[in-house]
Amino acid sequence: MNRIIRYTYPRGTNALFANRNPWSGLESEIGRLFDSALSDLATPSPRFPVDLYEDKENAYVRAELPGVNRDAISVEMVDGYLTIAASRQEKDETRSFNRSVSIPESVQADKVTAAYENGVLTVTLPKQEQAKPRKINIAVN
Amino acid sequence: MSIFNQLVPRLSRSLGRNPADGEAATEFTLKPAYQLAETPEAWTLTAQLPGVAKEGLEVTAEEGHVTVRGRRNWQKPEGWTALYRESYDAPYELTLEHDNTVDVERIQAELKDGVLRVSLPKAEALKPRKIAVN
Repeated sequence: MNRIIRYTYPRGTNALFANRNPWSGLESEIGRLFDSALSDLATPSPRFPVDLYEDKENAYVRAELPGVNRDAISVEMVDGYLTIAASRQEKDETRSFNRSVSIPESVQADKVTAAYENGVLTVTLPKQEQAKPRKINIAVN
Repeated sequence: MSIFNQLVPRLSRSLGRNPADGEAATEFTLKPAYQLAETPEAWTLTAQLPGVAKEGLEVTAEEGHVTVRGRRNWQKPEGWTALYRESYDAPYELTLEHDNTVDVERIQAELKDGVLRVSLPKAEALKPRKIAVN
C-alpha cells in the first residue's frame, strides 16, 4: 500500500527533547482538564493565593489563609524572601501551608508586622528611607 | 444509598439573580472551596470564604435550595498599587440543591476566620427510625 505522506518518527537528535516523551504535553494537558473539572472533589492544593501591593511607605503581602490556627502562623524574613507558614486543623489531620515570596532588598526587615483578619493575613513591610519616593525641588533659573 | 434525599451542588450556575433584587443580572461569582459531611442527623457544610466578614455574608434557604453568598469586606485602600494578584475580588456564591430534606427552621451558620460552617439538620421524616416489632 502506498502512503501519500510518509510519517517520520521523531528521533532523539535534538538534545533538549531527546528524553522527552512526545505525548507528555498531551498527558499533562488532559490531566489539567480533569483536575479543573474535578476540582470540587479534589483536595485543595497546599499553595494559597498571595497578592502583593505597595504604597509610598510600605509594601504589603496579603495571603488568603481561611481558618488557620492563629498561633501557628509563622512569618519569616530571610535573605530577601518572606516565608509564610500556617496550618489548619481538618477533622483529625493537620494540613500545613507554606509559601515564600521574593521581596526587594529595600525593605526594613526588622520592622515587618502582620495582621490576620477574616481569614486573610496582611503583612506590612516598611520601605527603607532611600527607597521611598522623594520630592526634590529644583530651582529653575 | 439512593440518589434522592441528598444534598448536592447545583450543576448549572444561576443565570443572574432575581431582577427584583435590582442587582446586575450577570455578575461573575466564584465558587468557594467547600466540604460536605453527613451524619444521621444533619449535613455540615464547611466553606472557605477568605476575606468575607459577617456583614458581607448571606445564607438563604429557599424551596429546595441553600445558597451562600459572600462579599469581600476588604477594599483596596487609596494609594495602594497592586503589583501582583492571585486572588479575585468577585463575590463567592455556592448553591446546594436538596429535595426539601433540610429542616429550614433549624439551619445554623457560624463564620470564623473566613471559614463558614453551616449545620443543615435533616427533616424529621428523613431520619432513620427504628420500628418496634410486636
